[in-house]
Amino acid sequence: MVVPLISIILLAPLAAFTIFALLGLAKRSFPRQDLLSTAAMLVALGCSLYLLKEVVPKPDPHTVDWISLGNITFSMGFYLDSVTVIMLIVVTLVSSLVHIFSIGYMHGDPRYPRFFAYLSLFSFSMLFLVVSDNLLGIYIGWELVGLCSYLLIGFWFEKDSAANACKKAFLTTRVGDVGMFIGMMILFWQLDFKTFSLYGEGGIFSAVATTDDKLWLSIAGILIFCGAIGKSAQVPLHTWLPDAMEGPTPVSALIHAATMVAAGVYLTARMFPILTPSSSLVIAYIGGITAIVAATIAIVRFDIKRVLAYSTISQLGYMMLAIGAGSYVAGLFHLTTHAFFKALLFLGSGSVIHAFHAMHAHHDDDHADNAEHDHSLVHEHGSEIPPDQDMRNMGGLRRKMPITFITMLIATLSISGVPFIFSGFWSKDKILGGVLGRAMEWNSIHHYVLFGIALCAAGITAFYMFRLIFMTFFGEPRNQEMHNMAHESPWVMTVPLIVLAALSFPVVNHLWFNKDYVKPPPQPHIQAPQHAYVPSDTKIGFTLFGLSEAEAADEEGGTDTEQSDKAHHAHEVAHNIAMVLSIIVAGLGILLSWLFYHRRRFSAEAVATTFRPVYNLFWNKYYFDEFYDGVLVTLTVWKARLFAKFDLSIIDGIVNGVATITQKIFAASIGFFDNRVVDGIVNRVAEVTWAAGGRIRRIQTGAIQTYLFVVLGGIVLIILIFRAL
Amino acid sequence: MSLQHYLVISSILFTLGIFAVLTRRNAISILMGIELILNSCNLNFAAFSRFVIPLEEVEGKIIQNIDGQIIAIFGIVLAAAEAAVFLAIILAIYREFGSIRPDEVDTLKG
Amino acid sequence: MEFTLKTFIFYGFALITIASAFAVVTVRNIVHAAFALMVTLFGVAGLYVFLQADFLAATQVIVYVGGILVLILFGVMMTSGRLEMRIHIERGQLLLGGGISLALLMLLITVIANTPGWKNRTDDGTLLPPTTERIGELILKEKFLLPFEVVSVLLLVALIGAALISRKEVRD
Repeated sequence: MVVPLISIILLAPLAAFTIFALLGLAKRSFPRQDLLSTAAMLVALGCSLYLLKEVVPKPDPHTVDWISLGNITFSMGFYLDSVTVIMLIVVTLVSSLVHIFSIGYMHGDPRYPRFFAYLSLFSFSMLFLVVSDNLLGIYIGWELVGLCSYLLIGFWFEKDSAANACKKAFLTTRVGDVGMFIGMMILFWQLDFKTFSLYGEGGIFSAVATTDDKLWLSIAGILIFCGAIGKSAQVPLHTWLPDAMEGPTPVSALIHAATMVAAGVYLTARMFPILTPSSSLVIAYIGGITAIVAATIAIVRFDIKRVLAYSTISQLGYMMLAIGAGSYVAGLFHLTTHAFFKALLFLGSGSVIHAFHAMHAHHDDDHADNAEHDHSLVHEHGSEIPPDQDMRNMGGLRRKMPITFITMLIATLSISGVPFIFSGFWSKDKILGGVLGRAMEWNSIHHYVLFGIALCAAGITAFYMFRLIFMTFFGEPRNQEMHNMAHESPWVMTVPLIVLAALSFPVVNHLWFNKDYVKPPPQPHIQAPQHAYVPSDTKIGFTLFGLSEAEAADEEGGTDTEQSDKAHHAHEVAHNIAMVLSIIVAGLGILLSWLFYHRRRFSAEAVATTFRPVYNLFWNKYYFDEFYDGVLVTLTVWKARLFAKFDLSIIDGIVNGVATITQKIFAASIGFFDNRVVDGIVNRVAEVTWAAGGRIRRIQTGAIQTYLFVVLGGIVLIILIFRAL
Repeated sequence: MSLQHYLVISSILFTLGIFAVLTRRNAISILMGIELILNSCNLNFAAFSRFVIPLEEVEGKIIQNIDGQIIAIFGIVLAAAEAAVFLAIILAIYREFGSIRPDEVDTLKG
Repeated sequence: MEFTLKTFIFYGFALITIASAFAVVTVRNIVHAAFALMVTLFGVAGLYVFLQADFLAATQVIVYVGGILVLILFGVMMTSGRLEMRIHIERGQLLLGGGISLALLMLLITVIANTPGWKNRTDDGTLLPPTTERIGELILKEKFLLPFEVVSVLLLVALIGAALISRKEVRD
């Protein structure tokens, strides 16, 4: 039952795309590609939901041999466990809702059918990546996802910024992909696993348990994580993601929630068993730094989509931090909750943009020129914010767009970590608790630092998300003309918002708190250090709401019962502390935001002036783009010029010199020989033949009787000769 | 009336045919020469059939193997077909060259 | 060899055949040559009778004299435009051709005279049964059925080919 279901899940979106592609060959397009693609996604969603019942708790691999090279066989197959099924549901659900939303949002676009075909291909790629049981399959899906994001970010390729953004996304992620590929090769050759399969006998995970080459294992883990750095937009390869906002907003929702960036986190989680303490720590630090860096940048953005983009980067950092700190379940839990509320935020912002955009259509039908209308909005750094995405043009929209407002508010409350009734609180708390638990269990200064970073990021998240809500929906309209034109979106756009809003409540949390359902895979190379500190008083801590007992999971699963007990206690304590602290920082963030942007008790401009250097740092996004432009691009161009000069002067010089020598000496002498000797022989032979032919041809009289004479005379002669002999 | 009589007659016919083919300056005369040659062949077949293969006695009757005669009949048929095609060719040549003298038809002259 | 009426008639036929064949190749008037050929063909038919090949003799007369010879006469008339047509023979060519022909004849007669298996095979006067029935069986029932059919196809092809070659060119 599983194989046909998986096949349907994979083939339905692929078929939708294939129909488009085949008709494209015939220079036609299916008139209702939108309905076809949406139906395909809904079918995949249905099958995924059925799988939830069918598969698990026992992992279920299905593998066939793919290529045999010598005695090495590469297999292709599916691996289904609880995490896979949950990912399938998240991907298909978010993708379905994005499809439905796009029917309204993309209405009237000249390449409307193509958009849906790309969405289908995107979903297929991600689903393929999710179910693959081997690194090669994951890599194929990985690159397909990259390709689709390239196509969709550059969907409005007439716009230079979009064309540049898609190239940037593609190239930046490729930097990570190279690392990932090298990592795979290290696993294959250096560690001598000679396979790309992950599970089962002879798979990478069983081989990892027996290898003791920790150095190469760490290097391989970090290199594979490089792929995730690129795909999931971690520092320092995060710069493509904000630019990816040039794509249509539903694409942003899909990229940020379910497909592209989720792939990185999913890959890191899949690679959980090969992580070593050092590679784990690298992952955790990169995640933590990403979380805080992106959050601080988000504070000062005015483009509604960029705020959300940096928010996504920040949240992805959280997930990486969780996985790096050994909180496998927490990371994936946050991935799913974040998928829903971030998709909701993007679709909501899309709804807002759509409301403004309809007004813009009166002025100018072309997306490409939107940014050129209002030069006063061009900020000092030269990057332009389209006016329909600029929060400074918004305000007071809550009365105009009530559904959008309420659903976005729910998502904001969820992402900010408002306690207990929103899913984001539980997942974020699980991460914070996991990190603090690891810190206390191992008595590790690194993890205490990381916990501090994560806590700060949580507070900042609450701050900038409420800033977005206050600027967009509260207060007085800042741009009266645009405000008058704004309107609530049609039902195809609001229905997905409502569905996603419902999913921002903790409706599926029980799956993640059920320890029998989602089990972290073992990490054979990570044990708690011997000098681990255990809090003496395990009764410290807040057994608030009785939840901590259930969720304080000993996710590392130490073999020693005593150690396991200690870890259990550490995590129980940690979760309670983390919960209280996270509630405090979230409340603080919301309060500050309210004071700054709603009550206007403090002026944001004044603060910005006071802390001008810090503000500039945030505003310029830590100068990452400038660094890349100034150092890497310049360096590359300089190097290219150097090589060009080398090519032109030295290599071309050698080639030309050789050519001249050949021409002048060899060619001349050989030419002489050819002309005189070879041609002479040939001409003499020809002349002799010609002269002989001129004589001999007279034999050919053309009269038939001559020939007969010769024939018969010949016969008589031959017979006479034989008789004489 | 031995075999050698017939063979001598047929070889004389053959030689006369060859002589005609070699010397006559008219395509139809050449055709007549060819007919003579064919007749000499047929005569040879019939003669060999009569004299070389021994007679058999089957069910009290003396039976002659007459395969040679049948070949001769086929030869006559062949001569008829050949004559028809030959004359058609002569007509075509006559139309093309205005003559049926074989020494004037020398397009292949070197 | 006993000189009977039968041998006398045989030699008579042989003489007629050779003499008329000589006429075919020597007379200058081509129509005369054609008629001489007719005599030759009759002579050969007579020789077939002496070989007790009755059906073959009849075929010779019917097909050759009735068909081919008429065809030749038609050819003469169509190409010359008049019934009489002189045949030029060059002296050199005549001598050369005659020489080669004579040499060939000498060779053939030498072969005939010297081949051991051909000596002393005389007609002992046995009267053989008529051949027509046997020929019919051989051609239509036994081993010559396939050649017979092939020859029929050959005739058809020759017919079509002759018609195609000799017709006037049709402009497109």
